[in-house]
Amino acid sequence: MSYSLQKKLVIVSFLFIPVSLLLLFLLYPSLRLLQFSLTDWNGISKSFHYVGLENYIAAFKNPDVWKALTNNFLYFGIHAIFIPLEVMIAVFLNNKMRASNFFRSIVFMPYILNGVAVAYLFSFLYNPINGPINSLLESIGLESWIQNWLSDKGVVNYSLIVVSLWRFSGLHVILFLAGLQSIPNDLYEAATIDGAGPLKKFVHITLPGISRVMEIVLFLNVRGALQVFDIPFLMTQGGPGLASTTFTVYTIQTAFKYNNYGLASSLAIILMLMIIVFSYFQGKLFKGKGD
Amino acid sequence: MKHNYQTRSLPLLYLLFAFITAIVLFPILINVFTAFKSPGDLMNSSPLALPKVWSFDNLKSAFEKGNMLIGFKNTGILVLVSVILNTILGAMTAYVLNRFDFRFKKVIMGMFIVAMVVPFYTTEVARFQIIKSFGLYDSLGAPLLIYAGTDLLQIFIFLQFIEKISSQLDESAMIDGASYISIFTRILFPLLLPASATLGIIKAVDIMNDMYIPYLYMPSKELHTLSTSLMSFVGQRASSFEQLSAAILIVLIPTLLLYLFLQRYVFSGITAGAVKE
Repeated sequence: MSYSLQKKLVIVSFLFIPVSLLLLFLLYPSLRLLQFSLTDWNGISKSFHYVGLENYIAAFKNPDVWKALTNNFLYFGIHAIFIPLEVMIAVFLNNKMRASNFFRSIVFMPYILNGVAVAYLFSFLYNPINGPINSLLESIGLESWIQNWLSDKGVVNYSLIVVSLWRFSGLHVILFLAGLQSIPNDLYEAATIDGAGPLKKFVHITLPGISRVMEIVLFLNVRGALQVFDIPFLMTQGGPGLASTTFTVYTIQTAFKYNNYGLASSLAIILMLMIIVFSYFQGKLFKGKGD
Repeated sequence: MKHNYQTRSLPLLYLLFAFITAIVLFPILINVFTAFKSPGDLMNSSPLALPKVWSFDNLKSAFEKGNMLIGFKNTGILVLVSVILNTILGAMTAYVLNRFDFRFKKVIMGMFIVAMVVPFYTTEVARFQIIKSFGLYDSLGAPLLIYAGTDLLQIFIFLQFIEKISSQLDESAMIDGASYISIFTRILFPLLLPASATLGIIKAVDIMNDMYIPYLYMPSKELHTLSTSLMSFVGQRASSFEQLSAAILIVLIPTLLLYLFLQRYVFSGITAGAVKE
């Protein structure tokens, strides 16, 4: 067989399955979402009506959607506040400290654990009656801090965000650490010869050296915070009331619990747009500062 | 970079990391203690205390009541089959994208990039209907097909590796009359195995820890994975805290073991996409 014929055959046959899977299970569903979002479909009946932008208008007017989004924003904000701390921990881990490999393993461990098990584990820890966290507070004389961690409307979100921090901060630290390790040592040596202090080195060598990782972490944070799902879904189902619901939990419940596929699809499309817009602007903001 | 901190700040550093270690280990250790306590022990002692007698009863009954054996079996099948399919498909895609020029190359790359912003979970609203129309609902086929698909990050990492393999290798094989397929299967794919191991382990962890796809597409009891077995065990609300802790512990163990023994690959997989070499 000639190589030019072979080439065509290989290209088509090698790409056929991966591209079909991509089209069928990711891109086509997205188009279907767009279609459903313009209808009043309930997910069961054979027919549906096109209703224009009604679902989008309903979504914007729905105070529950806004409540859910505020909760997502809380995840985003608190994770963002932790980023400087994560950078600091990565810098320390990059030291010639004995046992730094051990600490690295510990820091990253929560990320690798089964998320369902972790969520239920924390539900147990937060148990209000004789639960481990309240017992711990009692034993160190902080009885006044004792809370109904998962049933108090004012507290529940923060309780869940702690779980999220516990699970995902280690990932950020490890990414920052990899960024730090990619900075060539001679840069620091040259700076020392030029008489630069630790702070100057940090600002002019370390920070630019991890800017790519920083961009990735910020992207992960936007994507993760907008799509928080399993922690509230497993621990509180978004409750009490709507106190700990998130955009994704609300969307999933709208579709599979209340059979309002039209509204749920429009929420999914809005989520996709938010991911694109936030990532774009964050990337831009970051590039502008970095250069 | 390696910095030498002055020795007087070292104790503080150790203190900080001891504190972090305590935060990470506290939940896990409490869970281990609880899993080994007898019901009476749990009632009468502080939840922070060690078990008076270490008993395996809870683990045994959680394993049976929670259908964990089925969970292990299904998770095992899903991990094994998906990782193999996913690795082969990812390597094939990267091979074609790197070694050949053709008309729709940019379009195909573009599609993989667009797929990155498709949200998880909410897309299931539409994907659910597609899976159903294929007759894959409530079968292992549904998650298998979803997991097998390759993604941008994987292609990106394979491309990084393939770029480093000189195309002179391909050319000399072509002089010997080798076909493109045998160049891929005999020369390139074996050279990509280290990258495959790294990517495969990350994929395995993702699949072991996934819950929503098996929860949505495989409601039957016989099709439960580790995650969904635990979910239905908790949903029955028939069990006490010590049994719940035992079930949690059983589900934590597989990834924990994987992490203990294959940590190097886990780290290189996680950081491979983030840092340019």
